[in-house]
Amino acid sequence: MPPKPHRLLLDRVSGYADEASAFMRRRRIVRRPFARVRWAGGESAAFDAETEEGRELFRAAAHLIDVAGPSPARPRGQR
Amino acid sequence: MGAEAERAVGLMKEISAGMRGCALLDADGTALAASGELDLWGSAASRLIGAADAARDSAPAEQVHVATEDGEVYALRHAGLTMVAVTDRFTLAALVVSDIRMILRDLAAGEVRDRRAPERGEVPVARESDEEIQADPEAATPPAA
Repeated sequence: MPPKPHRLLLDRVSGYADEASAFMRRRRIVRRPFARVRWAGGESAAFDAETEEGRELFRAAAHLIDVAGPSPARPRGQR
Repeated sequence: MGAEAERAVGLMKEISAGMRGCALLDADGTALAASGELDLWGSAASRLIGAADAARDSAPAEQVHVATEDGEVYALRHAGLTMVAVTDRFTLAALVVSDIRMILRDLAAGEVRDRRAPERGEVPVARESDEEIQADPEAATPPAA
């Protein structure tokens, strides 16, 4: 027996909503700021912005970004 | 070193996608070259390196990568030289680090080289004429593997 038309529509809408929420979740993770330092020998560590070391790294990085200035406008048609 | 440092900064800006600016520092933290104002870049880059070194007392940092909402910052040390670069958000970190490392290695060796592959058709293919091949057939034979 074929499913009722409204059920088909509901399934489709909820499917799209699931996709959208997964995309937003991935985007949030990707866009999260981070600070990583690597030392000689391959040892590395990530510093949270809540820690003193992380805070200073983020401040220094923000200062550098200010010094570098805004992103140059890309020519029309360039991706 | 001054001219080569300038060339290294220029090349880095040219080859790396999404690059906003970069600076080159010597072992003392003195700016050798920068894509903008030398003093500003020198103090800002030294601050980042200082913050990274202070994160762990045991050893100086070799590589720093900080990503914020406004852009990304990279710093890499090699042979007493440090390059600090600011890029747009979401650049390919491995590529930027590779570009910086390549330039620092070349600079430490004494000469900065543009190692990009030539564009298609940029390098003319030298072909020997039939007369040249007949004159010296061995030269036309590819070497045995």
